[in-house]
Amino acid sequence: MRGPQDYGGLPAGPINPVKHEHVPTHWEKTVDALMMLIFDQRRQLARVDESRRMQEAFGEDYHKYPYYERWLQAVSWLMLEKSVFTQEELDAKQVEVRARLEAERDEK
Amino acid sequence: MSNDHDHGPTHTHDGKLIQEDELPSIEAQILETSVRELLIEKGVVSGEDIRRAIEAMDSRGESLGAKIVVRAWTDPKYKDRLLNNSDDAVREFGINMSPMELCVVENTDEVHNMVVCTLCSCYPRPILGIPPAWYKRRDYRARAVREPRAVLQEFGTDLPDGKQVRVHDSNADLRYLVLPKRPEGTEDWTVEQLEALVTRDSMIGVSDVRLPSEADA
Repeated sequence: MRGPQDYGGLPAGPINPVKHEHVPTHWEKTVDALMMLIFDQRRQLARVDESRRMQEAFGEDYHKYPYYERWLQAVSWLMLEKSVFTQEELDAKQVEVRARLEAERDEK
Repeated sequence: MSNDHDHGPTHTHDGKLIQEDELPSIEAQILETSVRELLIEKGVVSGEDIRRAIEAMDSRGESLGAKIVVRAWTDPKYKDRLLNNSDDAVREFGINMSPMELCVVENTDEVHNMVVCTLCSCYPRPILGIPPAWYKRRDYRARAVREPRAVLQEFGTDLPDGKQVRVHDSNADLRYLVLPKRPEGTEDWTVEQLEALVTRDSMIGVSDVRLPSEADA
């Protein structure tokens, strides 16, 4: 069965290489770095195929997320699966971070 | 590469950013900050590790790949090693492909190679860094394996009918790099001159290495 990520050979539109030459933002590079660090030889917390399995778990939602948001979600799910942190810890952290970021945003 | 305007595309001449570094949605920022801070609190990574990882990725790209290509163009023994034992050959340039494997494929008069990852965005990152956006998008991934000649034309690469096209579909464990053809008429060129010719796209195989006069045409 073809998964949502399995594009090979399907009809698609023009490549438009000039339009789609995006320089990664610092935020995207940070997500990239987190993924590379959990893969690296010192940590070996996950492998590339595991990251793909997580991204494919989006199912039809795969297309709704920007590339690095899929990566971020994959890192988060992998760390939960491997008990690096728990869902409770992540939930509590997100409540705290949300308050902080929203306060920063409102100051601007 | 060595003119007065050798700066990234995001800066104007007075050094200001043309475009502010854009942030994603607040939800994505919250998740990223949370995951990053938890990983730091758990001692999995440090802020310094993240900074260094970004710096390492920024140091990869076209110019690193160009060094490998030009070495192969100018040293037949090295070329032989690069094509037959790619991982070992690139280690000389401080590149460690592990746990992945690298396969370098050579463009010749008879064969043109191009690289895709139909399932995601697998790419020779230890050499070329972060892949271009079009490489990660559906249009390239879907069509490269079905109509490579049409795709190549969209990159301005017209292949003669008799030339064979080989499309290499990368995966998690195996990454491809194209060794482009050395342009004719560059026999007397210095290593630096040659390196300046080699583009990222020529190492993905969506274009050839062209002489400046051809590129302007």
